[in-house]
Amino acid sequence: MSVHTPSPALAQTLAQTLTQAWSLATRWYSIPLLLLVWQLAVGSGLVESRLLPSPVRVWDALVTDLGDGTLLYHAGVTVYRALTGFVLAAIIGVPFAAAMARSTLIRNLFEPIFFFGYPVPKIALFPVFTYIFGVGTPSKIAFTFLECLYPIVVTCYFGFRGVQTRLIWSAQNCGADRATVLRRVILPAALPSIFSGLRIALPVAIIVVVITEMIGDSIGLGYYITIWSTRFTFANVYAAIIVIGICGLALDQAMLLARHRLVYWQREAV
Amino acid sequence: MRLNAATVQNWLLPIATLVAWEALGRAGILPRYLSSPSAILAALWELAETGELFVALAASLYRVAVGFTVGTVAGIIVGLGAGLLPGVRHFFDPLVAFLYAIPKVAFLPIFLLLFGLGHASKISIIAFSGFFPVFIASRHAVLAVNKLLVWSARNMGAPPPTIFFRVVVPAAAPQLFAGIRIGLAHAFVVLFAAELIGSKAGLGTIISYGEEWVRFDLMFAGIVCFAVLGFLGDRILLAIRARVLKGQMIGTEEQEAQAL
Repeated sequence: MSVHTPSPALAQTLAQTLTQAWSLATRWYSIPLLLLVWQLAVGSGLVESRLLPSPVRVWDALVTDLGDGTLLYHAGVTVYRALTGFVLAAIIGVPFAAAMARSTLIRNLFEPIFFFGYPVPKIALFPVFTYIFGVGTPSKIAFTFLECLYPIVVTCYFGFRGVQTRLIWSAQNCGADRATVLRRVILPAALPSIFSGLRIALPVAIIVVVITEMIGDSIGLGYYITIWSTRFTFANVYAAIIVIGICGLALDQAMLLARHRLVYWQREAV
Repeated sequence: MRLNAATVQNWLLPIATLVAWEALGRAGILPRYLSSPSAILAALWELAETGELFVALAASLYRVAVGFTVGTVAGIIVGLGAGLLPGVRHFFDPLVAFLYAIPKVAFLPIFLLLFGLGHASKISIIAFSGFFPVFIASRHAVLAVNKLLVWSARNMGAPPPTIFFRVVVPAAAPQLFAGIRIGLAHAFVVLFAAELIGSKAGLGTIISYGEEWVRFDLMFAGIVCFAVLGFLGDRILLAIRARVLKGQMIGTEEQEAQAL
């Protein structure tokens, strides 16, 4: 036997790697395929390239504007607005939902507002917000706050109401005072619902900020999209869309990570 | 409706807000851009008399109805396909994973340029944005169908189409409706943005017209119509769902929420 014969172990590893690569390819082939078709369609002149710039040109625009910091600046503005509105809504919404679940008076007063207001497209109110808060950052943050508040309050409200009374009774029986019950029983029991509410609200925040920036602003990714589309430079529009996607994905992953850390006893299938 | 304490408390804040708004408006304390409720009603009447209101309503309703239907049907078909066939799933999963994180409104300038300022651009972007939540819901719903149900049906000799229509689709229906409801909410958001950014007709146009001509009562009239339209759309969808899912919602939180 010559020494060049591959050992069975090596062959097996190779076969495994190949299988893995193959399964990866069958799972993810559609994105490169679509990019290829796109590139070919534009390259062959089948599609007008001004409207649908080739992936290569989009990549160029992305690299250029990321490199000189323009896109990063606008992305920073958008993420800052979205996160501020979102965090404010979480800080106010979660305790408010708890209060609604606990007190009949608060529930009776506010339930109609939240449940009838939930399906109302609140985006229509944005023009009023621009008059009250001005066109810049404050009106975007205030509006994001409103849009995030609804899913957070409604989801958390059901979470707090769903806390089993026997858990609270057991804790009280063991001599826990109100603060301890709240901190050690109610909050952990409602935490999964709190996170689902937050996870619904986070993409809403980004959508809303981008829309309102498209309607009227001079900074932010929504503005960036509008300004480059009026200049008919769609490579930059697509570049900004990609950046928005990355921001959204990163924020969602951060949210999942936080949930993973805090709700360690109940994993969620993603 | 009985007039007990709970009912009074339920109506207290909305009515107090309207009364305070009207009173402060008449006293001239509120800034001009907050037209009082009576002025908004008058503006609504004015728009109804000239017929503008119905033209705008028809345009908005037409766009949202067609776009939402197209997006939902496409989402259901492709989503069910992705749930049933690994080939379809593997093609769409990466694309959807990437596109889902992007607000579809970001594509609006591209759609406006492709399809113009008329109905086509709004319908297509509403369909585009409605597709994703419905696709994801139906894909997950099919995969989550209890295998025992499918096996039992097969065991009793049901052919695949019967299994699909009598077992898989009913089992997936609750989740499907959840996706469709999100799709409808997205549809109205996108409709508003599209009509405000580039349009020649529709409720969004009334709102921007009111802003331009400093007729804030008209702006609010448009806002009220838009809000009512979105609210009614959601209620109609819930009513349809209650019919379709008879018996599947008993004792769920949603039923409780819906009863409100």
